[in-house]
Amino acid sequence: MLTRPQALALVLRRLALLGRELGKPLLEQANEETRLFGEAAALDSIGLVTLMADLEEDVRSACGVSVHLADEKAMSRLTSPFRRVGLLADHLIDVVEKSTPPA
Amino acid sequence: MSTAVITGTSRGLGRALAERLLAEGWSVHGFSRSAGELTHPRFTAHAVDISDEGAVRTAVDQICDPIDLLVNNAGAASLNALLLTPGSVAASLMRVNYLGAFHCLQSVGKVMVRQRRGVVINITTVAVPLSLEGEAAYVASKAALDALTKVAAAELAHQGVRVIGLGFGPLSTDLTRAVPALKLAELEARLGRPQGTSLSQAVDFIMHHLPAASSASGSIAYLARL
Repeated sequence: MLTRPQALALVLRRLALLGRELGKPLLEQANEETRLFGEAAALDSIGLVTLMADLEEDVRSACGVSVHLADEKAMSRLTSPFRRVGLLADHLIDVVEKSTPPA
Repeated sequence: MSTAVITGTSRGLGRALAERLLAEGWSVHGFSRSAGELTHPRFTAHAVDISDEGAVRTAVDQICDPIDLLVNNAGAASLNALLLTPGSVAASLMRVNYLGAFHCLQSVGKVMVRQRRGVVINITTVAVPLSLEGEAAYVASKAALDALTKVAAAELAHQGVRVIGLGFGPLSTDLTRAVPALKLAELEARLGRPQGTSLSQAVDFIMHHLPAASSASGSIAYLARL
């Protein structure tokens, strides 16, 4: 189980770490509305891939479940769950919910 | 201590490479459909059909150590004239030789991206640059793997992951058992290796290319004169 504030915190923390690594300090000031890819986005495609790979491990550490963020369903949505930070946090909650075995 | 994932370790080149790495102090995770006979305190056998994306992901998730090396070695071959090759055989070769490597590269690649380091070696064949007759489906599947090597190298270079292809002529394995001796001899002479290529020589070639200085990411090197 992952709450909205927890999911958002995971994404923002990872973006901040990535910002330091890539020398992009603006990533450390990201918020829900920060665009992750596309025009005027915070990340290029390689940065986005790195973010996804890192987040999958963060989710595994935090929730004990193995998730695949870029599944077919996510990739075929009209509004990409990777477009903005807030949408990505929502997507994390969704995939964790579907991956958690029923109690 | 370094850790490797090798596909196709139940026999042939995969097994020989696993034995060499174990002898040199590595830990090795072997992905094979059948168990094989290799046992060693630092060897972990995973029963995995690499054409099954979910099974590969589950197996990689079970590896707790950092992964330094992935060798996509598992392969299948079929000698047949193009017009006599059933579509099911072509599909099967593509599943093992290309899609299986794709699944492993994707799952292990994510681990390596998180580590910001790693080496991926895709085992290919001289049959691609030679466009060998009678191997259309096999060559096409390995050509797809070569293309994957080059694109993966470009995509993963920024995260410290090196992807290379290493190709061989006929090795003395189950894959070449059905090849007529005369045809094998002709091909080996053409490749400048009249004595053929032993598993030990192939393993030496792979070990030589492990250090970053030995080959650039995206390159494909052959143990043969082409």
